[in-house]
Amino acid sequence: MTQNSKKLTAIVNSKAPYSNTAGKDSLDIALIFGSFEQPISLFFQGDGVWQLLQGQDGSNISVKDYLKTFAAFEFYDIENIYVCQDSLTERNLTHYFHIDDVAVLENKEFAEKLAIHQTILRF
Amino acid sequence: MPTLHIVRQNAFTSDDFKQCLQVTRINDIIVFIDDGCYNLSHTLIKTIDSKANISLNIIGKHAQARGIAIDEILYNTINMNDLVQLTLKTSRVITWQ
Amino acid sequence: MKKLAVVVTTPPYSNLSVTALDYIETALNAGIELVGVFFYQDGVIHANQQVEIASDEFQCINHWQTLHEKYLLPLHLCITAAEKRGLSDEQSQNIHSIFTVSGLGELVELANKADRVVQF
Repeated sequence: MTQNSKKLTAIVNSKAPYSNTAGKDSLDIALIFGSFEQPISLFFQGDGVWQLLQGQDGSNISVKDYLKTFAAFEFYDIENIYVCQDSLTERNLTHYFHIDDVAVLENKEFAEKLAIHQTILRF
Repeated sequence: MPTLHIVRQNAFTSDDFKQCLQVTRINDIIVFIDDGCYNLSHTLIKTIDSKANISLNIIGKHAQARGIAIDEILYNTINMNDLVQLTLKTSRVITWQ
Repeated sequence: MKKLAVVVTTPPYSNLSVTALDYIETALNAGIELVGVFFYQDGVIHANQQVEIASDEFQCINHWQTLHEKYLLPLHLCITAAEKRGLSDEQSQNIHSIFTVSGLGELVELANKADRVVQF
């Protein structure tokens, strides 16, 4: 790897999981950063929080269930996962996610956490 | 350590601008480009805390193309070169699209 | 001197790509180093040789070509995103020669080389 190998990258997920490819495209980037041992943090905001909802099964609508891959985050050392509390509240969602070790943050903390990263992509 | 927010969508269409405002911090810089220029007509823009010292900018030709009048007291009219320079001067950039 | 990388996710028939090109051209003309452009999602359609845009409309490909020749700007195509959209360097060979067939690993490289990554 080149210089600045400890540069922090964040991806903000803002789309619901199935009607477009944003969530999968974002996941592919996260896993590549993970496999190159580059730090990557994941943020879920707006409709992106639907990606974390428990009890989903994309096979009903012929979607290859990429959300199951989220369970592999720890093997890629993807440990910084943040969810926007306001987005959950707006959607009447609780803190039951299909993966563990997710930090739910209020707006101010969510914003502060995002601002420690040098590179931010959003899908 | 300000963040540059490039806003390409407007709040009439999507929640991108709303989400932008959720993470905007004191001294951050917002630039409205493309259809993000229409946010100047949206009530959401009035919710920005005037004490937070957030700089509001708009690409002049993107606004002109859309027939949007710019209140020079509230917004700085900038060009593409200014946007490039802002990218380098701020600490990070997020594109809201 | 700070370096930039740009990620393009918008297709050539969208005015959003005109903005992306305007940004990139302005940066290069100002003498700023661009370590590369990474084409992802619908951005990969820029590389399709068979795209025909009416001759009186903005021709993105001509601008990419000029930038590639004048500034040796690397244009990286995410091949997975490209193949999903009918582009191939094997069977159909419809990828414009100014583009480099790459994978997401290249995005990791660009993000490391650049001081700022801007998404368009």
